[in-house]
Amino acid sequence: MKVPVRVTVNGRKHELLADTRMVLVDLLREELKLTGTHIGCGTGSCGACTVILNGQTVKSCCILAADVDEQSITTIEGLSTGAHELHPIQEAFVANQGLQCGYCTPGMVLSALQLLTDNPNPTEDEIRHGISGNLCRCTGYVLIIKSILEAVKAMQAKRAA
Amino acid sequence: MKYVGQSIPSFTNRTLVAGHGQYAADIQLPGMCWMAVLRSPYAHAQILSIDAKKAEALPGVLYVLLGREIENTVGPMPLRADPANYGGKTRRTCALPTERVGFVGEAVAAVVAEDRYTAHQALELIDVEYEELPVVTDAKTALRPGTPLVEPEWGDNVMLHREFVSGDVTRALREADGVVRGAVKAHRYVPAPLEPRVCAANYDPYQDLLTLWASTQTPHTLRALLAEHLKMPETKVRVIQPHVGGGFGMKAVGSPEEVMVAYLARKLRRPIRWVEERTEHFLAAGHCRETVLEFEAGYKKDGRLSGLQARVIADVGAARTGYGWAQSFVTAYCVPTAYKVPDCTVELFSVVTNKCPWTGYRAFGKEAASFLMERVLDRVADATSIDRAEVRLRNFIPANEFPYSQVSGAMLDSGDYPQAMRKVLELIDVAGFKTEQAEARRQGKYLGLGCSFALTPEGCALPNSFIQGYDGATVRVAPSGQVTVLTGVTSPGSGNETGIAQIVADTLGVAVSDIRVIQGDTETCPYGLGNFSSRSLMVGGAAAKIAATQLREKMFTVAAEALEVSPTDLDAEDGRIYLKGAATRGIAIGEVAKLIYQNAHGREACGVEPGLEATRYYRLENVYHQPEKDGRFSSYPTWPYEAVAAVVEVDPETGVVKVLRYASVHDCGKIVNPLLVDANLHGGIAQGLGGTLYEQLVYDDAGQLQTATFMDYTLPTAVEMPSNLILEHQETPSPFTPLGVKGAGESGITGPLTAIASAIENALPHLKLELMETPFTPYRLWQAIQDASRG
Repeated sequence: MKVPVRVTVNGRKHELLADTRMVLVDLLREELKLTGTHIGCGTGSCGACTVILNGQTVKSCCILAADVDEQSITTIEGLSTGAHELHPIQEAFVANQGLQCGYCTPGMVLSALQLLTDNPNPTEDEIRHGISGNLCRCTGYVLIIKSILEAVKAMQAKRAA
Repeated sequence: MKYVGQSIPSFTNRTLVAGHGQYAADIQLPGMCWMAVLRSPYAHAQILSIDAKKAEALPGVLYVLLGREIENTVGPMPLRADPANYGGKTRRTCALPTERVGFVGEAVAAVVAEDRYTAHQALELIDVEYEELPVVTDAKTALRPGTPLVEPEWGDNVMLHREFVSGDVTRALREADGVVRGAVKAHRYVPAPLEPRVCAANYDPYQDLLTLWASTQTPHTLRALLAEHLKMPETKVRVIQPHVGGGFGMKAVGSPEEVMVAYLARKLRRPIRWVEERTEHFLAAGHCRETVLEFEAGYKKDGRLSGLQARVIADVGAARTGYGWAQSFVTAYCVPTAYKVPDCTVELFSVVTNKCPWTGYRAFGKEAASFLMERVLDRVADATSIDRAEVRLRNFIPANEFPYSQVSGAMLDSGDYPQAMRKVLELIDVAGFKTEQAEARRQGKYLGLGCSFALTPEGCALPNSFIQGYDGATVRVAPSGQVTVLTGVTSPGSGNETGIAQIVADTLGVAVSDIRVIQGDTETCPYGLGNFSSRSLMVGGAAAKIAATQLREKMFTVAAEALEVSPTDLDAEDGRIYLKGAATRGIAIGEVAKLIYQNAHGREACGVEPGLEATRYYRLENVYHQPEKDGRFSSYPTWPYEAVAAVVEVDPETGVVKVLRYASVHDCGKIVNPLLVDANLHGGIAQGLGGTLYEQLVYDDAGQLQTATFMDYTLPTAVEMPSNLILEHQETPSPFTPLGVKGAGESGITGPLTAIASAIENALPHLKLELMETPFTPYRLWQAIQDASRG
């Protein structure tokens, strides 16, 4: 069975029919072709599918597509407008090698964005807890944490300017 | 400007951070359908019948594939690492079984449907009638006579039995001042890259061309296997490795699912995708490491080892089509690691059970050898009341004895182990620790310090297998002077493309930003073995350097004509070839390229062959496959190593261990990119700490996996990683590789095993714990504390 879903993704409105069994991550990846959101476990444990739903990070593998009717979503594709206009968090990840294989990265960046939106000046410990819902197998988190700390500085400098 | 030695962030960062990477699951083609796999619920059972009629009748289902069809068409899968080549036993295995399943999760049937949801719904409609057979889940039990057979035609449960002998261990143990005996046990792991296994295939019937996109580490090897197995011309199979979401050794050749996707795409003439679910990954992608290592070690009063008898019993799971079993061979091959034990016997039993087959994982068995030796030395230290670090210093192979021939025939290339150990003790502040420990104790906290040494040989080359010690690279200078490098090595996300670009930039004297590296496409890249055993810079970087050197010489010949000087008087940097000592007299590399491409009959270029492209191969030195005496051979050209030390806090009430600081002194030879070497080390250490403290696969007696999600198999998060991580490097260039590099991808993961165990023991000295079995999860450690308190 399919149900109508009207959803705003990265500022753009979509109207589509979704299988009632379909989860949000499949709607994003298969229907809207936004493949920057990844699937690592399907059980809400790894965070690779993290997106921002109405100002909160959620694991999009654990939400039914039908449940996002009339909601607003930001995915990694909504964070930058082009290759040279990355978000300061993304720039910090690039410069500080805050990624390797890149599979966890979109979710990790969105969790960092939500963290810095809620708390613009977090301690290192708050950063560790803020990304503890996102697993990374490559980096040992060391350079991810460094990237987020650098992003905090860059965003503060930007606000001051 | 020289690039080798500089910290340059990976070239792929920008694409990946923007979410614009293309992984195999992102391949979407018109008409693409999904494959899903039905898996065995039993660890050992006869398949009496399979009825797929209801599944086939479900709207949206295109096809159901069963073992009988595979058996009758393509037959058993070719092996790329056959135990028989090492004196072991072979099993004939098809991508789907016809008669018998041998582990929970083994593929039994495959469904192709228009979408993922329908494919999974169809799996539930396939009726399979099984008759359960006796199950073997423990390797030591499997060795006992009378135990049921995992492979009835083998006669016993031993896949491979080997022995490495040096000197006279019986005499050495008899003449020792004391002997320590016991066993260490490594538990079962799953590599768990965040991207599970994925592949997609498309078949073009007009060209008879099969294209497979796979999250693989070995595209060319996979192409050769698919062509042989599907009986297609190898030139009509193309394997593309898109971005890979981590491999860690588990994504090399041998997966039945890749065969099925390719077979079905060709048969159904529809593009097909298979994306492994995480639970499938836990059940069937491959496990590793579960090994018991029994030892009897003789020592002298001064703490020197005088003899070692070791017995390696590896539970390699079911025998199937992969290469993971080879890790057990590597474990035995590496004993006695970094230490001088001339009288030594190592016996290996690679044992099959009704559990998931092994696959490759970072450290590839070397970690078990180090775990054994490090724990043996700790027991010797305790027996002689000599400091644990000091015992290591007394047993290390001295720096002036390299290259050193080890018991198995392994040729350890270079290093200074004692210096690394002394340095790491300084970094962890061993001198101030006693005071720190006493102060913490007054506050009711239990702190402990432990040290360890890890030997992680790299560049593996095994006879008669896909694990080979050579690779190729093509370097191409365009008429503009910009450079393309195509390599046979691949990157699972670790950044070797950036390191290779740095090497080529220095060789040609061009900016690294003018270099593009292309990897992982059998259609365009030279034949190569891909990525494993930290080989990418060692062999791929060397091949690229040789090819680039050839072009450099050609460009120097033409530049010398243009400048009217001798080629030997020239040098190149920053995109220019110039006269040494008179840098203003030079010519841009782009100009030289133009002379070659656009004025081939001109004065400057008419003496050289047109074109600016070279494909060259490099074969590793210090590898010997023609066995010397006693059948010994050398499989690893380089031997990176690491001395580590950890300070932990233990809560004896709960068994929870917190790593307060962790130090490592690492030697991977010449470092091309310090940032990326450290990044790899961070990941290795995190995986090592995870395996030591949190992760464990558990089977019950019926062979059912009890830990098949990330909720049961707990990977470390950012919260568990120590905030005080201290890394330093020694750079002892390997005398055997052109760049002096040794490989850095697997280091980090082995050190925690013993450093953490030793630190926990040190935190609770009154209990005299002997932690010989990983992991040290809170419950298991709490149990050990209870047992010791009662004892």
